[in-house]
Amino acid sequence: MNNLSALHLDALGEVFSIGAGRAALSLSEIVGDEVSISVPSVQVINSKDINSATLSLNDGRFGAVTQHFSGPFNAEAVLLFTEDQALKIVRDMMGSQMSLEELAEFEHEAMCELGNIILNACLSAMADIFSFTLESSLPSYTVASADEILYRLKKNSNQPYVMVLHIDLAIENRHTTGNLVFLLSSASLTELVTHVDQFLGKIS
Amino acid sequence: MSEITAKPFDMNDIFNTLNLGVCVVNANGEVLLWNDWIAKHSHIKEADALNRPLDQVFPEPVSPAFLSALKNTLTYRLPVVLSTALHRTPLPLYNVFGTDQQPDRMYQSITITPIQSQLDESCCLIQVTDSSTSIKREKMLRSHSEILKKEATTDGLTDICNRRFFDAHYEMTVADAKRQKHPLSIFMVDIDFFKSYNDYYGHIAGDDVIKQVAAALKSQLSRATDIVARYGGEEFVLVMPHLPQEIACQFAEKLRSAVFNLAIPHIKSQPLKQVTISVGACTGIPENDDNLLNKADTALYQAKLKGRNQCISLPLCETEEYLEQ
Repeated sequence: MNNLSALHLDALGEVFSIGAGRAALSLSEIVGDEVSISVPSVQVINSKDINSATLSLNDGRFGAVTQHFSGPFNAEAVLLFTEDQALKIVRDMMGSQMSLEELAEFEHEAMCELGNIILNACLSAMADIFSFTLESSLPSYTVASADEILYRLKKNSNQPYVMVLHIDLAIENRHTTGNLVFLLSSASLTELVTHVDQFLGKIS
Repeated sequence: MSEITAKPFDMNDIFNTLNLGVCVVNANGEVLLWNDWIAKHSHIKEADALNRPLDQVFPEPVSPAFLSALKNTLTYRLPVVLSTALHRTPLPLYNVFGTDQQPDRMYQSITITPIQSQLDESCCLIQVTDSSTSIKREKMLRSHSEILKKEATTDGLTDICNRRFFDAHYEMTVADAKRQKHPLSIFMVDIDFFKSYNDYYGHIAGDDVIKQVAAALKSQLSRATDIVARYGGEEFVLVMPHLPQEIACQFAEKLRSAVFNLAIPHIKSQPLKQVTISVGACTGIPENDDNLLNKADTALYQAKLKGRNQCISLPLCETEEYLEQ
C-alpha cells in the first residue's frame, strides 16, 4: 500500500517523541505543573481505509485544531481530542486566576493554542531532525462529530494518505488521549520517506 | 517602495489607524514597526521603541511565555497564538481609561507570524488584540441568558416556579427517589370557591389572592430541596423529598392553616366567609409506574368532597394504606 517500512515508522516515532517532549515543556511552563506527552504509535494508512476505529472515535463531539503547512512536503495537520476531554484540559490549564472558565469563546481560543503548541512542536522536531524548513498557516479550531471528521479526512482525493499519531497527554492528574492526523499527497509522502531515508542513512 | 507609494493610501496611516496592535521585530528581536495603537496602550512612543530589543522597550518585564513564543517563531518560522485564557496579559499594555493610581492591564490575544522583510531578513509580525471587550460581551450574554433562564422557569404573577419548571423537576426528583429508594411527597393545593371569588371581587382582586396564597405556601418551605410551583390557574403543587408519611400529613395541615391565617374575606365562601384551600397529599417511595401526582390529585378531590378547607393524605402504596387502617 505504501513504501514505509517498520524502520521508517520507528524513525518517525522517534521524531514525534522529541516533538512531544518539547510540547510538554512549553505546556508545563504555562500551567506551572508537570505535563507529559507521549506518542505510543505512528501508522500510515490509505485515507479510504480510515474509520472510527483507527482514530478511536466514539459518538461524542470532537475538537479539531487544524494547520496547513508547506515546505519540502505539504500536509494538513489535524489534532483531535474529544470535546469533553479537551475542555477539561483547557479548564485545568486556565486554573482559577480569572473567572473565564465558563466562557466558550476563550475555551476555543485556548484549545487553538494547545493544538498550536503540540503541532508546532512536532513540526519543529521534524524540521530540526530532517534539516528543512516548514511554513504553516495559523491554527483554526472546529468542533465536529466523528462522521463529519471522517468525511473531511476522506473527501480530498489529492491527499490519499494519512499518518496517524496516537497521543497520550497528562496534565497534573488528568490523563487524556488524542490523535494527530497528517493528510498527505502521494508526492508529499514520497518526499517524507526520502527525508526519513536520508536521516537513517546518516545514523547507520 | 514605488509599489507602496503608488497606492492611494499611505500604508503608515493605515497601520496607525488600525484598532489592533501591530509590531514587527527582526531576527535579533529588535523593533522595526510600532503602530499608534501599541504606542497608546504601552505609553511608549514609536521613536523610543524603534531599533531596540522588544523585551527592553517596556519598563516592566514581558511574560516568559511570550518571549519563548517569539523565539520559537524566529527559529522555526511557525506561527504562534497566545490565548487570553492561558496568558491574560503577556505584554505590559494598559486600557486607556484606567485610572493613574490603578492602571488597568489589558487582557490580550496575541498572534505571532513569520514574515520576510524586503531585504529578505527573517522577521516576525506581532498582532495584539484587546480581549477586554469580548470578555465583557461574553459575560453580558451569559448574565442575560441566566436572567432569561430564570424567567423561563418562573411564574410571572406569583414569582414562584412555573409549570414548565415543575414538569422537569418532578420527573427528575421521581427518578432520584426511585434510584435511591427514598420517600417523596407531593402536595396538590387548590383555592376553594375561587371562581366565585373572581366573579364577585373581580380578576384583579383574584390575582392578588393567588399571589398571597403563593407567598403563604412558599413561606412554609425551608429546605433547598423543596419547591412550590403554580400548577394551573388557582392550583399549586409542592414537591418535598425525605418526609415520613406522618410528617407529610402534619405539613399539609400547616399549609392549610397558613392560608387560613391570612384571613382574606370571601363572602361567597360558605360557611367561613374567607379564603381557604384544600390540600391533597401523597407520600411514598416511587416504584415502576407509580404516579404520585395522580394520587395527590385523588386526595385533593376527596378533600373537596369532604367539604373543603381540609387536607387528605394518601400513601402511595395501597398495601401500606391497608396496614395503617
